[in-house]
Amino acid sequence: MSQEKKLTRRDVLKLAGVGGAVAAVLSGCGPMSRYVRRKPYTDMPEYQLPGESVYFATLCRECPAGCGLLVRTVEGRAIKVEGNPQHPVNRGRTCARAQASLQGLYDPDRLAGPWAAQKRGSRAGRSLSWDEAVQVVAQALQAGPGVQFLLGLVPDHLADLVSEIATALGAPEPIRFGGLALFEARQTLRQAMQAVIGQDALPHFDIANATFVLSFGANFMETWLSPVAFSRAYGHLRRGRPDLRGLFVQLEPRMSMTAASADKWAAVKPGTEGRVALAIGRLAAEMRDGVVPPAFDVDAETIAAEAGLDMALLEKIAHYFATSPRPLAIPGGAALAHTNGLETAQAILALNAWAGNFGLPGGVQVLPAAPIYEDRNAASLQDMADLVRRMKAGQVKALLVHGTNPVFELPAGLGFAEALEKVDTVISFSPFYDETAAQADYIFPDHTPLESWGYQKARVGTDRMVVTASQPVVVPLYDTKATADVLLAAAQAVGGEVAEAVPYQDEVDFLQQALANLMDSPDGIYTAVTPKAFWGRFLQHGGWWTKEPAAVQTFDAAAILQQPLEVPAPQFDAGEFHLVVYPHPILGDGAGANRPWLQETPEPMTTVMWNSWVEVNPETARELGLRHDDIVEIRSPYGRVYAAVYVYPGIRPDTVALAFGQGHEALGRWAEGRGVNPAKLLGPHTNAAGDLAWGRVRVSLRKTGRRRPLARKEHLVGVYGDGVAQ
Amino acid sequence: MAGGNGHEEHTKWVMVIDLDRCNGCGACVTACAMENNVAFVGEDENAYGRGMHWLRLQRYWEGEGDDLRVRYIPTMCQQCSNAPCEPVCPVYATLHSEAEEINLQVYNRCIGTRYCANNCPYIARTFNWFDYEWPEPLNFQLNPDVTVRRRGIMEKCTFCIQRIRRAEEDAKAEGREVYDGEVQPACAQACPTEAIVFGNWRDPNSRVRQLAASERAFKLEEALGTEPKVIYLAGGRHEF
Repeated sequence: MSQEKKLTRRDVLKLAGVGGAVAAVLSGCGPMSRYVRRKPYTDMPEYQLPGESVYFATLCRECPAGCGLLVRTVEGRAIKVEGNPQHPVNRGRTCARAQASLQGLYDPDRLAGPWAAQKRGSRAGRSLSWDEAVQVVAQALQAGPGVQFLLGLVPDHLADLVSEIATALGAPEPIRFGGLALFEARQTLRQAMQAVIGQDALPHFDIANATFVLSFGANFMETWLSPVAFSRAYGHLRRGRPDLRGLFVQLEPRMSMTAASADKWAAVKPGTEGRVALAIGRLAAEMRDGVVPPAFDVDAETIAAEAGLDMALLEKIAHYFATSPRPLAIPGGAALAHTNGLETAQAILALNAWAGNFGLPGGVQVLPAAPIYEDRNAASLQDMADLVRRMKAGQVKALLVHGTNPVFELPAGLGFAEALEKVDTVISFSPFYDETAAQADYIFPDHTPLESWGYQKARVGTDRMVVTASQPVVVPLYDTKATADVLLAAAQAVGGEVAEAVPYQDEVDFLQQALANLMDSPDGIYTAVTPKAFWGRFLQHGGWWTKEPAAVQTFDAAAILQQPLEVPAPQFDAGEFHLVVYPHPILGDGAGANRPWLQETPEPMTTVMWNSWVEVNPETARELGLRHDDIVEIRSPYGRVYAAVYVYPGIRPDTVALAFGQGHEALGRWAEGRGVNPAKLLGPHTNAAGDLAWGRVRVSLRKTGRRRPLARKEHLVGVYGDGVAQ
Repeated sequence: MAGGNGHEEHTKWVMVIDLDRCNGCGACVTACAMENNVAFVGEDENAYGRGMHWLRLQRYWEGEGDDLRVRYIPTMCQQCSNAPCEPVCPVYATLHSEAEEINLQVYNRCIGTRYCANNCPYIARTFNWFDYEWPEPLNFQLNPDVTVRRRGIMEKCTFCIQRIRRAEEDAKAEGREVYDGEVQPACAQACPTEAIVFGNWRDPNSRVRQLAASERAFKLEEALGTEPKVIYLAGGRHEF
């Protein structure tokens, strides 16, 4: 009963009904119907033995970092996610999100096949066949220049393929966006690198080999750029060298999980980070050789007062920066999320320029790009605002969304949801019924990541060129279809130039052609004579990377020091409190909110599970008469939300904080109706590089008189003495 | 003896956790749950303190204001050599394994008296107050090497004994010893900062043995005389 037909959910149930007599296993060759097929127990591939595990190397798509995974499967079921020990980004390590990625694959609320909504926002609709779906996509592509693709930051291969289709259609370049990108300030980092070393590149920070790490609001061990790689590096910084324990200082208004590991957390006033960097530069320069470059020509004492920091502390930090053998300053998302973010990034990178660490071990590095397609970078909020403007002007006829959830993620002040109403056709390729899919006319669900082909390039977090392979570890559970295959079929249906531009038989054929450049490279960990052999090794190793770290490439960054650096004062909205919004360390940008075990994993700083909370300084709480679990209204100029108070010692009295990731109105049973979405409080303002300036928002708090006990792993009585008769 | 690792004495599995590396990210908590079919219980049950985490991150605030610091201690069953949970079990459901020197929990003996949890100084044991659901197809991910527990059963960290067994059997089949680092519990395997190391105490060259020689080594509630087999290395401190 070997069968190669596509499976519907009904078939899955039928097969399961045979008492588990049929296992879904992968066989090595042939299409997605050629490449993956279902086999009966009696005719299993020889590697598949009852009771024995089979491991597949693949890519983690829970964030864009590009970690390598080994997924343990038993008789066709994925059982456990482990890190790929050979992989240069994560070296066998994983974060909580990777661990729970199986619960995305096995989410009971996944979409089982193509679907047309009765009307947008309605959960009523009808199922389509994939032939109909391809016709719908082909019809949408007829809009040519009116077509806009909106893609996630992962996977890269889809962006590369879609870019070819968009060019042939005469459509604008696909936009890549994600909730994490809102908080990472990638565009700001790139533009600051352009200003400092003349290269538009994402910087990699070699934390492992530094001796003193000075981070300005970089949550690099949570979600920022490549958190597992940076966490590994942090372990090395602390205890990887026999006689040297690297030091770590973090400056930010709210103590993040990353700052919790610092030797010193200093609660700098929001928006003053850039000026503080200049002051530290000045003090360090005075200590080292007394030669203060024009860039650091500032008055340190004034700045210390502005930033609410002790002068003595600044001097100590400067002392370490001046005397430690390999100091490293990191400009993180929180520091750059102010209206002066770009100038702040330049000021912080100038510290590195002064330390002369660009390109060196323990310094700021630029990794070479693997020779497959050019990088397709994350859009800034400004790019998204432009998209909203074009949508409102009726210039976008068809919006095709994959791998991102802008309705949930974008600040309310941007008006994306309203602009969506002006678009004739909205197609979502999400495997889950998320907020954006809910506002789409059609949902043509892609496979989930662990059922998918693809590749992702690592741009930070490692020391070499890395292309990670994505391959299915199980047979697709439902009647889903790879978006690349849907688009290729639609391009064929459109015909003409568009069909000619993408002459690929299917997704795997595209991948094999895209990777062809790597095949002959003598630098790779393996070589292959034929494309087929290369493909086999690519899948076996879980990707391709070079044997050796990239050659040291030094940069002359001294020029930035020779001119005065102006960091303008940050602008703020009216309101009582500064607001810090940070991606939830466990749920990420909210895409993880439908994984029950991510909800159940306590958030490290608060130990809160399954809900949102607002962090309020104990002093402020006392003044406002707030206790743990009191519900408050948090109001900004752009909206309001309600959340329970967590009296949080690690935050400035003039600041409150909310984690981003909860507050879903869709995305399945475990995500919906849980907590609040801080995007509702955010405005459309950006810094000079176009990245979101969420630091501009200020909020007011109002006690509602209601209470909602948060589910915590810690005990209020034991930790805070709260709840004891007072 | 089990395993055939060729040592004179049987193995003594030990875990070393370097708190100076630990950054509190929580990957171990999730990894443990994924490996061991640990049930999720939802918001309300967690608020009642009925979460099933075998491994939790204890977060300690130290100091106030400008001097505030945080310490994390990942805490799981300490696999005491002199375990307070064992003598109180009326049905020998919680007992000591001679082969691995691990505290076992025999699910089909357990009658749910919860005496063991009351007697555990580390709050390491969790109790199944209800039957918890794995709605289809979420049950596809259940690890076939680990029993799924029912209502009324006590459970706790096992040092991933299924992985120890697997490694021992592989080694035996290949006629060799289990090599250092071959057994990795799910938490140690996931740990991004490489803070958690697992190995055999009786192997004088093992990494755990070397790490535990550090002057930073300590055990939780050492004064109770429980002789835990989880050894912590104190976090560093640098005054600014």
